Amino acid sequence: MRVPENFVFYLSAHRGCNDHLLAEAKKMNAEYVELSSDPKAVLIRRMVYSVQAEVHRMRGFVRLKALGFKILYGYLKPEHRIGDWICDHFAKRSPSTIIALGNSNQSWVSLYHNGSMQKSQGAGIEDTIKAFQSAMGAMPGDQGIERIWETYYASQYCPERRNLQSFNHRMPKKALRSAGLSIERNANGCTLKDFFKQE
Amino acid sequence: MVTLEKIAHLALGSSFDPLGAGLYNAEAERPDFDKIAALGKGTRYDVCSSNAIIDDLNNVVKSGICHSFTHDGRCISLFKTLYTNWCTHQCNYCTNSAACSDQSRKFSYAPEELARITLELYRTNHIEGLFLSSGSGADEDSTMEKMVETARILRVRHNFRGYIHLKILPGASLESIREAMELSDRVSVNLEATSQSHMSEMSPTKDFQNDIIQRQRYVRDLMEKITLPAGQTTQLVVGGAGESDQEIFQRILYEYRELGIKRAYYSAFSPISGTPFESRKKEPLWREHRLYQMDWLYRIYRFSPGEIEHAFNDSGFLSNSDPKVAIARKVLELAVDPASASYAELIRVPGIGPRSASKILAFRMHNRISKREDLANLGVRIKRAGPFLKINGWREATLDRWLK
Repeated sequence: MRVPENFVFYLSAHRGCNDHLLAEAKKMNAEYVELSSDPKAVLIRRMVYSVQAEVHRMRGFVRLKALGFKILYGYLKPEHRIGDWICDHFAKRSPSTIIALGNSNQSWVSLYHNGSMQKSQGAGIEDTIKAFQSAMGAMPGDQGIERIWETYYASQYCPERRNLQSFNHRMPKKALRSAGLSIERNANGCTLKDFFKQE
Repeated sequence: MVTLEKIAHLALGSSFDPLGAGLYNAEAERPDFDKIAALGKGTRYDVCSSNAIIDDLNNVVKSGICHSFTHDGRCISLFKTLYTNWCTHQCNYCTNSAACSDQSRKFSYAPEELARITLELYRTNHIEGLFLSSGSGADEDSTMEKMVETARILRVRHNFRGYIHLKILPGASLESIREAMELSDRVSVNLEATSQSHMSEMSPTKDFQNDIIQRQRYVRDLMEKITLPAGQTTQLVVGGAGESDQEIFQRILYEYRELGIKRAYYSAFSPISGTPFESRKKEPLWREHRLYQMDWLYRIYRFSPGEIEHAFNDSGFLSNSDPKVAIARKVLELAVDPASASYAELIRVPGIGPRSASKILAFRMHNRISKREDLANLGVRIKRAGPFLKINGWREATLDRWLK
């Protein structure tokens, strides 16, 4: 089953969710949401899938930059209310490292330390990083990792297999924007010919 | 919620450094970008995915994460690279082969250097882990030793929890295979061809039975003592030596049944300039796609080999159409009623997969399937499934039925 038992949790993170819909959802179970053709259940199912899809994409597409060896920060502007979930995911991936994600208006901070998660939310990511720099002192910045990635990413492309339809389906522009990906977005130079099937 | 100052204080107070502060040593040599490009390029035809990552509780999680896609639509989830592009084998299709007239510059990583790049890419969420293959170098065992050393640095020194897939080089010793298996999530030996005769044509310096099949047997036997979370896999070059799809299927059946292969990957042959095979015809990509469909019918849908044989034509090739439809035309004599059919019957209908078949069974427990929309709502691709279904006693008109 694709609809999880805790689907109300996912639904609550959807940008279009309201109290009325949440109350309706609490009366349903996961199996009903998955199988029913009731328009309310179909709507809830679509909203849950949409949140799950964005969580999955952001876990893969968000890129982090190192600030010393205690801070990793990155750009994130999600469509749904999932910023803190993504931040927690990376905090568990790199224990004892501060994870700061956000955009010009909002930021999320998580630290997984001694088995517990410490969280914070604030204004724009730049302000958050400045606050850490003033509390922790100067730290070395970029280690040239972007260039390593760019070189490696270019090396993996097989021109004879070019398939922009597939690329655009799997890396939709919306997701590239939300995760602030630039290398993949900028490398997407194409002509009209690419959109017509080649014999 | 806590303040940023408290979080900063906790982080500064922690002495635990999962990846090693050595990464940020200013003295560390900066990477050679030509080397990264050349050794990355050497693996671009290798297919892999981190489809068995380990979660916090040390359980194998089924699905991995794609961190990017190339413009050919293929997922990048791992740092896929060669250890060295120096190779003494004479594979007629390979750009790194000693037989290639277009000898490019030879590079090799040092274990420390490769581990450092992997860690940096992993930490910044560009990758899920490492896929390490290699040319043979001076000899297989010393190159395997370096590859294992890289994995050891990652796992032991830096407590690396990402995914590691190591290629077993043809002819590698039992001891180096054992060490590789102890440190990685998955290992694989590239089959490349389906038989000794095809292998002789593609790669005259490799002994099919001894260098390839025997190494796969070693892995199978060692798996009884060593846990390999994602198992062993293999990869074939499709059409390199003119083998038929039926030959590939027979070989793969042997691999799944006798050697315990978790899954096989297929890569359509593509001629590379400078190699002895440069003038050979490029295999169409659809052939690779149809082989994957056939593979899924066997592994996931649990079709019997006898059923799958129906998909091949007289010359032993698959046509450029869905093999499941070809099989259904020959096997499904009567239309399937989704209101009463079993899981095994449902899954044989084109347009119904394992997930939609399960949904139909669950739906039927409390509801009645009376129209096509009910099935469409359960994820059935109704246009494909329609001609093989009988819903509420009604069948779709088909050209065959009109002719009868």
